[in-house]
Amino acid sequence: MEPVLVAQALNALFGIATLAILALGLAVVLGLLGVLNLAHGELVMIGAYCAYVAQANGWPYLAAVPLAIGVCGVLGYAVERWLVRPLYQRPFDTLVVTWGLSLLLRKCAEAMFGLGYKSLNEPIGGTVEVLGAAYPSYRLVLIAVSVVVLGGLFLWYARSRTGTRIKAMVGNPELARALGIPVTRYASATFVVGTCLAGLGGVLIAPLVPVQPFMGLDHILMSFFVLVVGGLGSIGGLLTGSALIGGANSVISALSDSTGGYFSVLALAILFLWLRPRGIHARS
Amino acid sequence: MRAADLRRRGVPLAARGGVAVAAVLLLPFAVGDFWAYQLGLLYLYAIAALGVGLCWGRAGFLPLGQGLFFGLAAYLSGLALIAFEQSPWLLVLIPLAACVPGVLAFAIGVLVFRRRGESGPYFSMITLALALLAYQLANNWESVTGGFNGLKGIPGLPGLDSYTAAYFVAAVALIAATLGTGWLYRAPLGVLWAALAHNERRVVMFGFDTNRLKAVAFGASGLLAGIGGALYAPQQGLVTPQLCGFVLSADLVIWAAVGGRARLLGPVLGAIVIGALTSGLRDRIQFWEIGIAIVFILVVLLFPQGLVGVFAPLERWWGRGTRRAAPIAAPARPAVSGDARLEIDAIAVQLGDVRILDRLSLAFERPGIYCVIGPNGAGKTSTFDMLTGELPAQAGRVSFDGRAIDRMQTHRIVRLGIGRKFQIPSVFAHLAIADNVAIALWSGRARPLQLLRPRLRRWSSALLDELQLRYPFLADAERTASQLSHGERQILELAMALLGEPRLLLLDEPCAGLSPHETAAVIDVIRWASERRGATIVVIEHDMSLVRKLADHVFVLHNGSLIAEGSVAAIQANEAVQAIYVGAEK
Amino acid sequence: MSVPRLEFEGLCGGYGDVVVVRGVSGAVAAGEVLCLIGRNGVGKSTLLKLLFGQLPCRAGSVRFEGRSLEGIEAARRRALGISYCPQERPVFDDLSVRDNLTLMRADRDLAALAPLLARFPILGRRLEQHAGTLSGGEKKILSFARGLSEGQPLLLLDEPSEGVQWENILHMAALIGAAKAAGTALVVVEQNLAFAELIADRYLVIDQGRVALEGQRGEIGRERLLAHLQV
Repeated sequence: MEPVLVAQALNALFGIATLAILALGLAVVLGLLGVLNLAHGELVMIGAYCAYVAQANGWPYLAAVPLAIGVCGVLGYAVERWLVRPLYQRPFDTLVVTWGLSLLLRKCAEAMFGLGYKSLNEPIGGTVEVLGAAYPSYRLVLIAVSVVVLGGLFLWYARSRTGTRIKAMVGNPELARALGIPVTRYASATFVVGTCLAGLGGVLIAPLVPVQPFMGLDHILMSFFVLVVGGLGSIGGLLTGSALIGGANSVISALSDSTGGYFSVLALAILFLWLRPRGIHARS
Repeated sequence: MRAADLRRRGVPLAARGGVAVAAVLLLPFAVGDFWAYQLGLLYLYAIAALGVGLCWGRAGFLPLGQGLFFGLAAYLSGLALIAFEQSPWLLVLIPLAACVPGVLAFAIGVLVFRRRGESGPYFSMITLALALLAYQLANNWESVTGGFNGLKGIPGLPGLDSYTAAYFVAAVALIAATLGTGWLYRAPLGVLWAALAHNERRVVMFGFDTNRLKAVAFGASGLLAGIGGALYAPQQGLVTPQLCGFVLSADLVIWAAVGGRARLLGPVLGAIVIGALTSGLRDRIQFWEIGIAIVFILVVLLFPQGLVGVFAPLERWWGRGTRRAAPIAAPARPAVSGDARLEIDAIAVQLGDVRILDRLSLAFERPGIYCVIGPNGAGKTSTFDMLTGELPAQAGRVSFDGRAIDRMQTHRIVRLGIGRKFQIPSVFAHLAIADNVAIALWSGRARPLQLLRPRLRRWSSALLDELQLRYPFLADAERTASQLSHGERQILELAMALLGEPRLLLLDEPCAGLSPHETAAVIDVIRWASERRGATIVVIEHDMSLVRKLADHVFVLHNGSLIAEGSVAAIQANEAVQAIYVGAEK
Repeated sequence: MSVPRLEFEGLCGGYGDVVVVRGVSGAVAAGEVLCLIGRNGVGKSTLLKLLFGQLPCRAGSVRFEGRSLEGIEAARRRALGISYCPQERPVFDDLSVRDNLTLMRADRDLAALAPLLARFPILGRRLEQHAGTLSGGEKKILSFARGLSEGQPLLLLDEPSEGVQWENILHMAALIGAAKAAGTALVVVEQNLAFAELIADRYLVIDQGRVALEGQRGEIGRERLLAHLQV
């Protein structure tokens, strides 16, 4: 196969994997709990900064993973307990509160690390030969990790007892309570999983993007648009959404410039907004 | 405002206003040039913050990207000032620069607010994305916007050179914007915004296109941000992409919240106070910005009334002595000929796997009182939802007066002369009774431009007078509807449905939760409405004793279709009907 | 009867401001079925929700095996030994029939449920299908099977026969009979008089949120019950 085509295909795969793994945390929280966590992008940022801290201290890159998961997990627990839980019946207020939180987290990052861009080294340098094309190793690692995480989470949710109980709780919370499912505990755990996934996403992309306090904004918007286009119901939807959004951005950016790409993503999102009369929740 | 109105509203309002205006205009002489300059800038931000308060505090949706409109107006104004320096064309171009964002905001509102259902999160995200897009555009389009370094060397407004002059321009603009926004809040438009923020479904059920109303609100906020931006360019002399971006948009939301988004002056106070504190203390106190973010979260969670709330007792004391002006007779509803015939023909509604309405066919041929009964899940409320356009049908036709209404939007169907009372009393709980009643009167009577005239709030009608005689609490104008008991709320909603003077009235369990005394009163009103107005009234009821008292004709629904109809006696003698209530052996 | 398994006195409650149940009292002993009869809208389902704790009681008390249930939320009541099958949305539509039956059990094994599946082969045929694809009556059968299989001392059923074919209703009656013999107490809301007559030991007839009639099986004639059900 033509090396150029292989490289293009891998690039596309890389783009979809990145968008999907970053949107996953938001999808979990929005899809299962109905909460739009506007601080999602900042949790990705926190994950990225954890990676920076790990690298700055000379630790192995892998150490960033437990660090990010720890910080985002604790943060997620606190946020669900005190900010989100009292507001489950008022989705608009959760939007506002999480937006305020995103502001707070951004300012904290600014205070701790300054406004400048931080650049990280790729933990696995060099290239690997794939079907005749040389492709950056780290990107392959990212694709692999994304596939494992997405696949693993999906399988766990579909097969495990807890996953089934969470599914039950999401579809019919009244009956779930009547059966003794600990709805509050599961909701908290789900939120924490969502924030940890965001942190993990941040660790993964940190070597590839400039790490700075405002990086989260792009990611919350992209993740949200992926969910608008792909729907919340399934992994397939998440991947479709990622493909469409990523595709539109790449193609239009190549034709005009990055602003054009951004605009096309927005136009696509508005179009899907019209097409989904009941909003994101495609479940009947 | 006529002098008589002024007198009635009491001296305090005029005095309040006069003192405030004088204080604002005399301020620069007290605080010196530096602060005059700072305040001049803060006033422009305050105008934009007013817009956020309008959308968020009044109309109930959150714009996260107002910087787009502020920056757009600033760039347009800056370009005009550079190109047409000192020319009289500026008299037209600067206001135009302020209006363009307003029109753009309205257009975006029309695009985004389309479907029924919560568009809140989408709207916020889209405005955020647009602001970031604008920032990118401003950054990249160097030839026009000057790129990252911005538009430089913008001359001031012709003839106004000193800091003090710039201050006065900003101050006058702020006062004008505040008065204008206050007028919008007092107009029926403002009341409708407040209503739809909490109960949009009900507003639609009075025949108002809420999507259009929200787009107008957003357009107004765009205009306000535009005014601020248009005056920013000559005042600062420099326009950078930062204006379009995220930071200013975020600050506007914070100022509106901390100041008190629900009140007119809240965002203004927030912008000036917090803005001034921030510029003064940002460098001296290390965690100032973090502190503000925490304050914002606390305000949203615990103190939504904001800074203005602190002054509320003072305001109440000062506001004493204002009385409502005399009522004005509302114009008559445009007369429509025709007997209000409603025909439902083989309607099928399916949601997922559940068949809610199964080839349902009913006809209401002449005016009178009809009752719809049936066991739980028979589809009675769903039939009402389908009639008012809230539940789309997959097959069949519905015609009202010969006109097909099965594909129409709810607010258009209502305008044809259909009124509805919901199963759970659905009034505007946080609005005064008088405003609840006024909204019902505007339904079908007020033309769109009339919604800008505050005098419409004084509308009254002969029907209202009669209802107020029967139910004195309806005349208790200033009382908030949330303070009413359940029974009173049922009656208020019934009254509101009647005031629209519909030709077809759909009542869903009008007596639910009422005491026997209240029930008798409601039955009385329903009979009176039927006789006096000649309307067709359809009532869903469970209680057979009520059905016996009311119904001229009864329809029995079961599993989404009609299984029997006739007089009450005929229904009671019908074995098939009895069987579905008692359960079958077969 | 000794300490009744469940007794409630002067219960008042409803939704928000509206009071639907206005002072209802009753009791049911182990091995007994208490049938709540009445037309729709009179408060039967609301009463059951008050008993299970899904709605707060404005007044009155509920005692389970002598112990007051005040302040105890629904999930905990379930842990104490009360099972509940609601009238609306009785199953998890997104889960398979098998998952609906085994959700809170120790494993996915259906061996213990074999007698139930034998009586309702429709469940066995659709084990791996989503419960949302079942008809209304089939969902009710599924919900009934789930509730019964929990084997708890008290079972609250809200219109279990709604939409169910007569043959299956007879099966339900037989299963309830077996549960009674094993000592389970049941409170069943019903509008199907024929079914109620098969299972009820005591009747509580509700009208306008109050008790209009009560008594043991055999004490109240069919005519009087019909009068309260028909329109």
